[in-house]
Amino acid sequence: MFEKTLIPVAYGERPDELKKIGKILQSLGSESICLFHVSDSNSFFGGSDLSWLMLLKDTLQEIGLSVEVRTGSDHIASSIAEAALLEGVDEIYLKAKRHWQLRSILLGSVSRDLLRLADTPVFVHKIRPILPGEGDGTITREDLIVLYATEFDEASNRPLPYVMQFQGAWCHILHVRGRRADPRSEERRHSEVKEKLSTLLEELRPYYGRVTSEERIGNAANEVLFVSEQIKADVIILGRSRPAFLSSPMGDTAERIVSGSKASIFLVP
Amino acid sequence: MNWAYFKKETVFLLSSGVILFFIIAGALRPDLLDAAASAIHSGILDNFSWLYLISAFFFLIFVIFIALSKFGTIRLGYDAERPQYTFFGWVAMLFAAGMGIGLLFWGVSEPLVHFLSPPPFLEPLSPDSASFAMRYAFFHWGIHPWAIYTVVSLSIAYFSFRRGMPALISSCFYPVLGDRIYGMPGKIVDVLAVFATVFGTATSLGFGALQIHAGFTHLYGISSAIPVTIGIIVIATALFMASAILGVEKGVQVLSKFNILLAILLLSFILLLGSTPYILNIFSSTLGGYINNVIDLSLQAYPFAGYEWSRDWTVFYWAWWISWSPFVGLFIARISRGRTIREFVLTVLTVPTLFTFIWFSVFGGSALYLQLNKGVDLASVAGEDVSLALFVFFEYYPLAGVLSLIAILLLSIFFVTSADSATVVLGSLTTGGNLAVPLYKKVFWGLSLSAVAIILLLTGGLDALQKMAITAAFPFIIVMIILCYTLWIGLSQEETLQDEDR
Repeated sequence: MFEKTLIPVAYGERPDELKKIGKILQSLGSESICLFHVSDSNSFFGGSDLSWLMLLKDTLQEIGLSVEVRTGSDHIASSIAEAALLEGVDEIYLKAKRHWQLRSILLGSVSRDLLRLADTPVFVHKIRPILPGEGDGTITREDLIVLYATEFDEASNRPLPYVMQFQGAWCHILHVRGRRADPRSEERRHSEVKEKLSTLLEELRPYYGRVTSEERIGNAANEVLFVSEQIKADVIILGRSRPAFLSSPMGDTAERIVSGSKASIFLVP
Repeated sequence: MNWAYFKKETVFLLSSGVILFFIIAGALRPDLLDAAASAIHSGILDNFSWLYLISAFFFLIFVIFIALSKFGTIRLGYDAERPQYTFFGWVAMLFAAGMGIGLLFWGVSEPLVHFLSPPPFLEPLSPDSASFAMRYAFFHWGIHPWAIYTVVSLSIAYFSFRRGMPALISSCFYPVLGDRIYGMPGKIVDVLAVFATVFGTATSLGFGALQIHAGFTHLYGISSAIPVTIGIIVIATALFMASAILGVEKGVQVLSKFNILLAILLLSFILLLGSTPYILNIFSSTLGGYINNVIDLSLQAYPFAGYEWSRDWTVFYWAWWISWSPFVGLFIARISRGRTIREFVLTVLTVPTLFTFIWFSVFGGSALYLQLNKGVDLASVAGEDVSLALFVFFEYYPLAGVLSLIAILLLSIFFVTSADSATVVLGSLTTGGNLAVPLYKKVFWGLSLSAVAIILLLTGGLDALQKMAITAAFPFIIVMIILCYTLWIGLSQEETLQDEDR
């Protein structure tokens, strides 16, 4: 499922960093990488020497990945989203900008646009899983902690095959909802959720060393971020819901989780 | 006292403890109580008078929106339920619960006092100040008080009749507090409702007693000393407590309806024997001015000139209505079971309001007519003693003595029915929403209501009554804002609820 990954790259990308990314993707099952560069005609570097891109390709090939290089132009996010479809990749990998001193993670406008436009799942790499240092080896599936946030609706069910594919050490299923307005319907809803979580738990059990589930009441984004920190999740898997009129492009909840999380996000459109 | 009793009776013990402390402090050191109440009152007014204005306007917009939205068709009860009372009976009870004493107290006085002492940008005793006076009397007694009552009554009716929860303010907090409504957070919400009810009702009882006393003084020349007012409160207390203890609910209902008919009779008498076309012109033009300016009036604090005026009047009224809202809200909710939200909101907002407008046009308009066209200086009387103006006003009509006695009878019945209902509501609020209230609680709350009214009158008279209403209402504004949110959550879940029931 994660066999082919598209990585958008720009001039100035560091080969050693890309190598670490390649290793992580490899450990998640990627065999083939499509390096995609969108050239800006107004840029000083636009259309000029692309040898830096070849250098990146060589770096990834050194660790045994099959690499192809593609370029595009015009609106960056649209080009990436279109290329992902044309190349038939399984996911788009995005690295969030890091300001380590501030311990904050910024998501650029291109990334935001891409998360909104892409018809392919997007993996936004944030602080966790931590990129390995030289000689640290790499993260393996055996270490991976996955948080699957579900509302039991269509958007939340779409990521389910990907959750199974991620596999890993621990999958924590989280359902966040608002409280019902009276104790009787609250009790009824609680029983329904419990049953659904239990079914989901059984479905995911073969794929993880440990599967747990939890129901929380409150604001979805706050609770997902809280639980993700509590369990030190490496990846949060979410479905992208259809945004409501005048709401944030990805929907309020996804937008806030993607912005605020230290764990990486796997967003399934 | 064991722990189990404390847990079961937390609301009663906490609220009764604080009220007792207030009564004892007021009896032993009225100066200290006055100083403390004044400090709190000034703090609230200096910093939060805007909150009263904005909240009241928000409550109005909110309830109108709910009524006109898809939620309007939701029934306050199960889908098959139908209203328990006829439309007239329901409206009569709404009206008796919501206004009562206040209308008699302020009907003549308020327009006259505004006419005499308008904000600084208007010339006193001018035609402009007369128009301003009538418009503000409409505004203070118009649609906003009923919107305030509607927020509380709609929430209680929805959560208790539709969602099967006890008729308590804390029940409405379930969507945010969950099972904590049974713990301390829920109890605190109910305690705040008890405070607001005690001080709001005591304020009205104080007004009622002052005016009954003024009527007797005017008619029979009895002493105007405060002990006489206290004596009136004591006699009325004996009456309403007997009624509350004996549980003559049916009798109270009959008295309420009788009072409304008597009020209509008095109104018709003044309308027909006064300058009818003048009154109807005042009604028409003030209604037009009110409708045309309702948004400006709602949010107008006169920060550059007239700020004090706005605080003394509009903020006081909003606070008074808010402090009455738990009591009136519970009562209105109880009599509105089976009606749809749209029918409930639109009727509560319009019918009693229209009656009030007619009342003020008749009483206030006639008083202004006498003042402006007949040279009767009623404004000075109202300026000196607001409770006396009604009785002096009656002197310019035939059968003045009978009219004054009818007004005193109306006030006394309103006093007894309001205090009786408030006693039962307070008992119910402190007994987990149960209507079967133990006798000792009825006695305690009945005596407390009167004791608080007496203490306030002894501490600072009318001024102290107003201060305490504003202070007690303040925490309840926050409760009401949250009520809007929880009601919205509850209504938003209706579709899901019905899908699940199928």
